[in-house]
Amino acid sequence: MRSLLVFVLVLALQVAAAPVFAHHSFAAEFDNKQPLKLTGTVTKVEWTNPHVWFYFDVKDDTGNVTNWGMEMGGPNGLLRAGWTRNSMKAGDVVTVDGFKARSGKPLGNATSVVLASTGQKLFAASSQGQ
Amino acid sequence: MSKTTVKFQLRVALASVIVVVASAAHAQWLTLPTPGTPRLPDGKANLNAPAPKTADGKPDFSGIWHSPSQKYLANLAADGIQVPMTPWAQQIFKQRADSNGIDRPSASCLPHSVTDFDAHNTPRKVLQSPGLIVMLYEGYHTFRQIFTDGRPLPKDPEPAWFGYSVGRWEGDTLVVDTTGIHEKTWLDDAGHPHSEALHVVERFRRVNFGRMDLQITINDPKAYTKPWSVAFQWELMPDTELLDWVCENNKYFDVLPKER
Repeated sequence: MRSLLVFVLVLALQVAAAPVFAHHSFAAEFDNKQPLKLTGTVTKVEWTNPHVWFYFDVKDDTGNVTNWGMEMGGPNGLLRAGWTRNSMKAGDVVTVDGFKARSGKPLGNATSVVLASTGQKLFAASSQGQ
Repeated sequence: MSKTTVKFQLRVALASVIVVVASAAHAQWLTLPTPGTPRLPDGKANLNAPAPKTADGKPDFSGIWHSPSQKYLANLAADGIQVPMTPWAQQIFKQRADSNGIDRPSASCLPHSVTDFDAHNTPRKVLQSPGLIVMLYEGYHTFRQIFTDGRPLPKDPEPAWFGYSVGRWEGDTLVVDTTGIHEKTWLDDAGHPHSEALHVVERFRRVNFGRMDLQITINDPKAYTKPWSVAFQWELMPDTELLDWVCENNKYFDVLPKER
């Protein structure tokens, strides 16, 4: 059990350190002065190049649900770090840190995704910093 | 049931088996040991072993390589070197910086070119034969050819995304001259521009099994008042394989508004 935990931690660190893929300019699309932290239920994962996108339903204080779309790094770096297209699934409850799109629409760039059930960190390969 | 239907069903079944087997093998290839790799007692690749040679005695650059960071992709002048831009280049560089690089070709899924791919952190497989070195880039699923068969650079070339590259050996260093690069390409993600007069000189030296030293010199009198150079390294990526990379999902480009 302990070795499994170590494995998961090492994997998480590797993913965190995985170089991200410079496809487009982060600053052109997202605003690093508008951080976001949201918890919700995953509705869809698009495991595609050049970016993984996932969507999740977030409920606000008044009960309104908004479906947010989040961009991540490319799948190839994630595959090399041990993740697969099944690592995050529709129905998973996740807490997401990231930055909002400049557009003001419910879109963003995810820097960290944590599975609520286990605390496991997923897909921490943002396309920020490019 | 007709014969044709049975045949069709068999084909569907066979195709399903192939798909399942292919996806399993795909995952395994990422950790398959690369043949010909020197090993440490624990089985890991010995990246400090001597650089290999080809049958004709030249340094062998074969392998999957990458630039370990994005530092020089982000800006070839990241080490603070002086980049002597002409007013023409300054104006383009400023426009690209002011618009947060929104017009960078790669943002529209067009590939990088010579210098920005050199600095890119995604893998490239180098294949070497006596008269030709090929770089297969995982990112953008594209390639580049460097001819080492003694041919001259073309005169008045038709501009090309990767230009025209010829290489020659100076001892253990491969010196590559490239001209004819299309003006649309950027030297780096910072947006350092170039004209069609650009002449890139790359000097590659495989220091040991796991490390390639690389120096790039930019000559372009329309964009820079004198040549400037940057040096960095590639690292070998042992025991892995190239992955698919097709720009199939570029939706952010449509859904996010452009700040101009």
